[in-house]
Amino acid sequence: MTRVGIVGLAHVHAAGYAAILADLDDVEFVGVSEPRVELRSGWTTGEVFDDLDALIRARVDAVIVCTQTNEHLAAVTQLAGAGIDVLCEKPLSTTVEDAREIVEVCDRAGVKLMTAFPMRFSPPLIEGAQWIAEERAGQVLAFTGTNNGRIPTDHAAWFADPVAAGGGAVMDHVVHLVDIMRWWLRSEPVEVYADTNRVFHPDAAVETGGVVTVTFDGGVIATIDCSWSRPDNYPIWGGLTIETLGTEGVFATDPFAERLEMWSKGTTEWLDWGHDPNRSMIEHFVGAVRGEHPLAVTGIDGLRATEVALAAYRSASAGQPVEV
Amino acid sequence: MAGVHADAWEATPDRIVAVFDPDRDRSSKLASDYGALVADDFESLVGMVDVVDICTPTHTHASYITAAADAGVDIVCEKPLARTASEAHEAVAACEAAGVRLLVGHVVRFFPEYAAARDAVMAGDIGAVGVVRLDRSTYLPAGASSWFSDRSKSGGVVLDLMIHDVDYARWVAGEVERVYARSAGGGDHVLATLSHTNGAISHIQGSWAYPRGSFRAVFEISGSDGLIQRHAAVQFEASVETSDDVSDVPQPPSSSTESPYVSEIRHFSSVLHGDEEPRVTADDGARAVAVCDGIAESLMTNRAVEVGP
Repeated sequence: MTRVGIVGLAHVHAAGYAAILADLDDVEFVGVSEPRVELRSGWTTGEVFDDLDALIRARVDAVIVCTQTNEHLAAVTQLAGAGIDVLCEKPLSTTVEDAREIVEVCDRAGVKLMTAFPMRFSPPLIEGAQWIAEERAGQVLAFTGTNNGRIPTDHAAWFADPVAAGGGAVMDHVVHLVDIMRWWLRSEPVEVYADTNRVFHPDAAVETGGVVTVTFDGGVIATIDCSWSRPDNYPIWGGLTIETLGTEGVFATDPFAERLEMWSKGTTEWLDWGHDPNRSMIEHFVGAVRGEHPLAVTGIDGLRATEVALAAYRSASAGQPVEV
Repeated sequence: MAGVHADAWEATPDRIVAVFDPDRDRSSKLASDYGALVADDFESLVGMVDVVDICTPTHTHASYITAAADAGVDIVCEKPLARTASEAHEAVAACEAAGVRLLVGHVVRFFPEYAAARDAVMAGDIGAVGVVRLDRSTYLPAGASSWFSDRSKSGGVVLDLMIHDVDYARWVAGEVERVYARSAGGGDHVLATLSHTNGAISHIQGSWAYPRGSFRAVFEISGSDGLIQRHAAVQFEASVETSDDVSDVPQPPSSSTESPYVSEIRHFSSVLHGDEEPRVTADDGARAVAVCDGIAESLMTNRAVEVGP
């Protein structure tokens, strides 16, 4: 049995991860550590520890980091020091320096570091990666990507806190598509242009709308609409789409297309019924912790994606494209 | 486009009385279809009509507009208004000086789905406009209309195709102050970001690099209070079979309503008869060209470009 815990209940994904860990046959879900009392109230899955030291003392092989983003570095440093493997929520950190430090501290300690990019485990996106490898649409020329959602402050206010999250819609949503594109292309972003605004939820302290253009080494161009532009009454949290133009054709990918549309009691809802990429991601992480396979997504992947999101802020303030 | 416009004029009280084209076979054919005369040159054409409808290649628009204005004739001109912003401004100035109407064929304003979305935005249904996503993806025009692919004449995909959505973006989100764009596929696939003066952002995909036979025109407008989506009616596959009956010039998907080209020309006729105010002004036509000039400059310099008036 692999003993796995969660540090932090700040992130909306903590509950889902805990449920998966509690359900996996070969995993002993040790519990969660969360010093903030208000976040612990109502939590029922597994044991709750007051701080990360207590969780570490309870003997864990691996931990999923679900703190707010600016607390990732402290948690990962502590875990690495204790020789514990880490699956860290995205974005890796709020600054390039911290993100790099997260990677280095794990390297030095010789612990595994995976970034939580569940889209790597989404079947339609895996098929997209295969199509690109097989050149089904020829050589890739361009991507058009969207990752739009409702403002996530319903889940936790810190998602729209410039210090805790390091920004708003750009920090929240650019990294997923950048990671998919890097994975599919096997090439790196070299230049970024971004325009952002605060038209959606103008009271927010961070940008809520943004369109980011990324140019990859090798010339592929891509745009990412990261806006929190879904209204409060949108049928689901949001979604992610990517369309790929190649020299021989075009294909569109929607990893959340497997859903029912339901009209019920005055509301419209979309019910996901498809594959759960979070479960596959955690199974993959646990397998890597056990030494069954190398990590398919590493801390470097998290660092590279974070660099692009942070470059987008530099571009938005300069009004010009910037190098990554 | 001349044939489409000529058909549309049939739905108005106005009549096509004369046709001019440097290719006399073409002008004779169109003239005979509509019982019109064939003019020997542009000067004699404008001497025979109240209104001239210019459907020539883009790079010739400005000089025909100026000549028509000098002759005191009202003008309908297919979009884009001119090949460059400076030519467009000169053409508009010539029309103002001559006191003639200049109506620009930004037909997307007459597509019912685009007009309905704009009406909803103007009614405040989605609050302040935040991000506008516009996508017009099709294949490279070919055959007899190959001047389209000569960028010096048509302005390429930016000025010929993307301008539809540039004009629409201005219509729903106001003036554009800055643009940035990248291209792929030999310049036939362009992704542009438009920054509007009110803070709204428009993302426009304009492509002549999509599979032959395909034409997708879709949009999404998100605001502080809501969201409007127009989904694609057609799903693309990784490749499509080419077929011999594909039109040389891509045609947008049609709807069950009156052809937008007919709606457009009927509106123009009404304006020219003094019954309606123009939905598209000459200035709109010139500003759309100016934004496209900015996009073209951004593509060349890889810099964000401030858009002039």
